[in-house]
Amino acid sequence: MAKKILLIEDEQIIVDLLQRKLTEEGYNVALAKDGEEGIKAMKAEKPDLILLDIVMPKMGGLEVMEEMQKNPDLKRIPVIIVSNSGQPVELDRAKKLGAKDWLIKTEFDPQEVIEKVVNQIGK
Amino acid sequence: MSKETEKLLQMANNDLRDLDLYIQELSAFLPLAICAVNPFGLLITINSAFQDLTGYKEAEAIGKRMEKMFANGKEFRDLISSESVLKKKKQKRKMILLVKSGREIPVSMSISARRDENGEFIGYFIALLDIEDFEKLRESLEKKVKERTGDLERKTEELRESRVALMNVLEDVENARMLAEEEKNKTMAIITNFSDGLLFFDFENKLSLINSQAKSFFNIKSSKLIGKRLSEFSKKSALDPLVDIIKNSKNSRIKEVYREELNLKKNVFFEVSTIFLKRDKKKIGSLIIIHNVSREKVVERLKTEFVSLSAHQLRTPLSAIKWTLRMLLDGDLGKVNPDQKEYIEKTYKSNERMIALVNDLLNVTRIEEGRYLYRKTTTEIQPLIEFVISSLRDKIKKQKIKLKFIKPKKKVSKIKVDVEKVRMAIYNIINNAISYTPHGGKVDVSLMGEKDGVRVEVSDNGIGIPKDQQKRVFSKFFRAGNAVREETTGTGLGLYITKNIIEAHNGKVWFDSKEGKGTTFYFTIPFTTNH
Repeated sequence: MAKKILLIEDEQIIVDLLQRKLTEEGYNVALAKDGEEGIKAMKAEKPDLILLDIVMPKMGGLEVMEEMQKNPDLKRIPVIIVSNSGQPVELDRAKKLGAKDWLIKTEFDPQEVIEKVVNQIGK
Repeated sequence: MSKETEKLLQMANNDLRDLDLYIQELSAFLPLAICAVNPFGLLITINSAFQDLTGYKEAEAIGKRMEKMFANGKEFRDLISSESVLKKKKQKRKMILLVKSGREIPVSMSISARRDENGEFIGYFIALLDIEDFEKLRESLEKKVKERTGDLERKTEELRESRVALMNVLEDVENARMLAEEEKNKTMAIITNFSDGLLFFDFENKLSLINSQAKSFFNIKSSKLIGKRLSEFSKKSALDPLVDIIKNSKNSRIKEVYREELNLKKNVFFEVSTIFLKRDKKKIGSLIIIHNVSREKVVERLKTEFVSLSAHQLRTPLSAIKWTLRMLLDGDLGKVNPDQKEYIEKTYKSNERMIALVNDLLNVTRIEEGRYLYRKTTTEIQPLIEFVISSLRDKIKKQKIKLKFIKPKKKVSKIKVDVEKVRMAIYNIINNAISYTPHGGKVDVSLMGEKDGVRVEVSDNGIGIPKDQQKRVFSKFFRAGNAVREETTGTGLGLYITKNIIEAHNGKVWFDSKEGKGTTFYFTIPFTTNH
């Protein structure tokens, strides 16, 4: 059965591109366009991996991770941060909150996102 | 003549002889020179004192003209030819006696007229008193008095002159004092009206000056604090926030100016500079300058906010463009013909440059962040280095760099640093080593504990820094010629930021490099950056 990835991202074009790329790679993709939706979606969908943006309306990525920490079921889902800024303070906090990996959008190509995903959960 | 008469006469003669003898004895005994002169001024009788005084024997003197006995004989002649001696009983005159030896002796002459029993004028009695010794005494006394008077006059003159000189000096001193006073008033006016707060502690650490601006900064109304020692300021004292900073400055290794930021209350920030004042190598105290940087802080915050905002707002569409173009190029969104592909590739590169520009903007703010240290925590340095290395692992992998972290054998003591800033500093050095080392190259990172601090070395076998450009390595926006060719996206800010951060921790950063062979960067951070 195809592995399920939850993509929490507010930028529509990024969502479109990543969804297309991940689907092509054979993953099952669920979508959420902000943090609040993301929490609901991860409870409902029980994804194998979460791709998480940091700056989003309603609830940001770091707050989402804080919420996940409180819930043992959500806590064990691996998270890869997909962020716009590479501020060390953000990355540091994300790492402390259990992020497995992170990438800065301007510095990586979509193909490298796939590589990181494969790295975490395999095909 | 009867016998009776003859006897009487005889008796009278005897009496007369006795009287004559008596007179002769008396006159011989008298120490006063006496003589008798006839009406024409010829000597007729002298006593022995007269002979002693004049040196003339009786036989030589008798019959001599009296006026010849004086050097001022004319005076004598005038005296006796006038009738004053005859009228008056006795006269006294100062004369110059001319003695036989030719010497002149001052004498006091007393003269009175002689009369017989009938009242007929028969000559003069003259007594001469030798006043040579008196005269000498008088003269010497006079001379002495004159000398003394001269001395006194000279002294008086000298005193007068020195008084004038002293008055001049006093006047000069007064002028100088007034000038100094004026200068002092000027200085005090400057200090009082200075826009920065100023406090001066003397060498005993006593507060000796606080200007009005400093008072208003700390809301102090009275001058009660003047003369108090730093250690006497209570916790309740308005100046309490300063106490720690001043103590820190004393413990710091900085010799000239120590700066620390003070956040007194919300939105009020001061930059406190401590300057140790010395005169002729002697410590005379410390000057505390309090500069209100609240406005700068607001501007700084606004700038950071702006940059952060632009980073997010600009980077979002930039990454969307980047990813779209990438997928187009990779054929993920359908086939593109070679012509289209060429255009898309060029657009992709332009977009990459735009991304680099936005990153530059971020780095510019990071420069200013390096200037001040905000949150210092006591921490181990090893995890900081490990964090940096792991954050770079994709790049390391991409460039096939063999990176080795040589850890210390013994655990290194903790240091008190601003973790985020120091991490940025380490990142810049290691990132440079990786960026400017060709594929398959080697980067060694070593951590060492030293006596008074930690030491980190990052050495690579990369392109190196050309010798003629090594001086400018730490300056803003500098990039070495070979580095620009190697990696086009660098900003020239990394090492500038690093130097700022390390030095803000009282550390040192330096390097050795040889073009084409490689570079080693070193930095140290002391254990006690602050008390």
